[in-house]
Amino acid sequence: MFTKIHRAGFNRRFFLKTSALGTIAAGLPRAAAAAGGTIKIGFLAPLTGPVAAWGKPGLDGCQIWAERINAAGGIKLGDESFDVEFVSYDNEYDPAKARTGATKLIREDGVSFIMMLGGDTWPGVQPVAEKTGMLFSTLLPSDLSPDTTTLIAPAEVHPIYNVTGVEWLAENKPDLKTAVMCAQDDALGLPSVATYLAAFEAAGIEMLDEPLLFDPATTDFAPVVTRLLAKNPQIVCLDTCYSDYVHPIAEQLFQQGFKGQIISCTADFYDQMIAKTSKEFMEGFIFQFPDFDDPAMNADNVNFDDPNGFYAEYNKRHPGEWGAVSWEYASIMDLWKAGAEKAGSAEPEAVLAAMQEGGKGKHAFGDADWWGEELFGISNALVGAWPVVAIEDGKAVIKEFRSIPDWYTKHGELLRKHMSDYGQMFDQRG
Amino acid sequence: MLEILAQTGFNALYAASYISLVAVGLVLIFGVMGVVNFAHGELFMAGAYAVVALYADLHMPFLVAVGIGLAFVGLLGLLMERALFRPLRDNPLGGLVASIGFLMILQSLAVMGFGVRMEHIPPVTQDVIAFSEKVRLPVARLYVIIAAVVLLSALWFFLKRTRFGWALRASAQDPEAAALQGISINQTARIAMFIGAGLAGVAGALTAPLVSVNPFMGHSVIITAFIVIIVGGVGSLEGAIIASVAYAFIHTVVTTFWDGVLADIVGLMLMLIVLIVRPTGLMGSADRA
Repeated sequence: MFTKIHRAGFNRRFFLKTSALGTIAAGLPRAAAAAGGTIKIGFLAPLTGPVAAWGKPGLDGCQIWAERINAAGGIKLGDESFDVEFVSYDNEYDPAKARTGATKLIREDGVSFIMMLGGDTWPGVQPVAEKTGMLFSTLLPSDLSPDTTTLIAPAEVHPIYNVTGVEWLAENKPDLKTAVMCAQDDALGLPSVATYLAAFEAAGIEMLDEPLLFDPATTDFAPVVTRLLAKNPQIVCLDTCYSDYVHPIAEQLFQQGFKGQIISCTADFYDQMIAKTSKEFMEGFIFQFPDFDDPAMNADNVNFDDPNGFYAEYNKRHPGEWGAVSWEYASIMDLWKAGAEKAGSAEPEAVLAAMQEGGKGKHAFGDADWWGEELFGISNALVGAWPVVAIEDGKAVIKEFRSIPDWYTKHGELLRKHMSDYGQMFDQRG
Repeated sequence: MLEILAQTGFNALYAASYISLVAVGLVLIFGVMGVVNFAHGELFMAGAYAVVALYADLHMPFLVAVGIGLAFVGLLGLLMERALFRPLRDNPLGGLVASIGFLMILQSLAVMGFGVRMEHIPPVTQDVIAFSEKVRLPVARLYVIIAAVVLLSALWFFLKRTRFGWALRASAQDPEAAALQGISINQTARIAMFIGAGLAGVAGALTAPLVSVNPFMGHSVIITAFIVIIVGGVGSLEGAIIASVAYAFIHTVVTTFWDGVLADIVGLMLMLIVLIVRPTGLMGSADRA
């Protein structure tokens, strides 16, 4: 076969010429992209599977963010402007797939920054981060450790912000003195359990029972709720349960006759929960994620650009799909854009240095500090105030923005104790 | 304590009902066709999505949606029999692999058709039968219990008292001997697939308003069904029902009085103990295993 090719005129000189031309041609698209001004950002999160509700709505929010930024002239690095483009990879909340995705996004797509949900998928990606120096973000600061130098948690300080809901509850409904809690037994549920335990203890609310952990594969929550209600609690805490659990648990609480207070990290698609229970049952349900059409989002402290307009556009494109993460990845992009423009570069190291300059940052809910040395072994979490949200007359209403650092200053030791008890401190995680 | 026990009993009865519908369908398919249908959980999911489409989206009456769901998933079973299992009849491993492929196709179709998010299904009824403040049986759950009893009784009657049922049992016991007696293996396979798939579909349809419906909801159902048929005895319908009830009660009691994670471990331990003490399962026979 090779002889035939040779006879047809395929000699060494021809090979070298065509190879050189091929190499130039292969390089052209990338060069053209740079000249045309596009910065690619990786979106590595679950877009399918049980955890997709904390990935897909975030990507949808990012697309709106990108259109707004590009329409406004893009990202300015030095004298040049660049459009931004998101390249997504569905990791299905699987560490191995997340690792493959990270490698693909860096090597094949040439992204400048990768946003993740984190949690169970981060251990799969960490070796790639260490090897390439790529800047990653997570929604879950519990992924942070002294080794994760290129991982930041600039939007969500999960689960630490949950303390604000408990603190608000204790101040505003002081008669509530007893609580129970349930959570799925995973990387998202356990640190949240430790946080809620610390928050309840700090607020003087007694836990009537050990937190009830259930398998993430659970579909029937009647036994879980029967157990929760056996001790006649005044408060039922749903921890950081996925919406696939929050909804059936709330429905079971309603059906099994619970009439007390519910507190939860999230209440995504709460209108559906109201439809399955009643407006009266859901009245006063406390959680931590506001609708962005809330008037309080227009306050001066809020750094998210045009929250009401963003919310309206999101709901126009994806009716009824607004959830906890719809705005979060977009808000991370606000911080990344500011860092890149400050650095005049999209290089991960330069952007990170610019973002963290002075130890301050503009979090979506207000100016915040880069923080976390004691809890995560590294100050790569951006922590400030966080909203406490209650359902009132069928609508989520921001009751107050409360400071997480203020709570931590008073009760940090308690939080570290419970985190340690659940093996969730950075030096305990395997 | 008595109230909690009574409530736990109701919870377990509901769980036993839908688990037995799924497990009996799986056993029927295995018994007649010798195929381990890994896509059985996705047939459960397909039944749930039939209710999403017909009841939640098109506002048909719930029971009509459930009936159409049963027929639709039964027809999916016929499609599987004709397109997947019949060409691979002499290759049980091939059938298993084909069912895994079909599982992925069904999941992908659900994702493409409905998206990845859990579906909202309005409650069929919010009525609750309250025996006391802490002992309450939601009527929607009662529907599932009643439907399971009716459907499994009808299946028992069909298998024990009708000619088609006898043919099915004969094919399950010895396909070659049944064929020599003039029983059509293709026809019995079709009947088994329709009934087996239909039972999974109706279980999914009935429970759809009570669980989170998403394209991946079949995973946990199929795992539970496999535990149940191994405990009950692979190929034994009676064993599947007994094991469903036992598993549901044990799992519910352990969750209520100890821990949900521990309940899963206890369920797996139950399977392990049965496999050690009686490898054929509670009601299985050596030739079936």
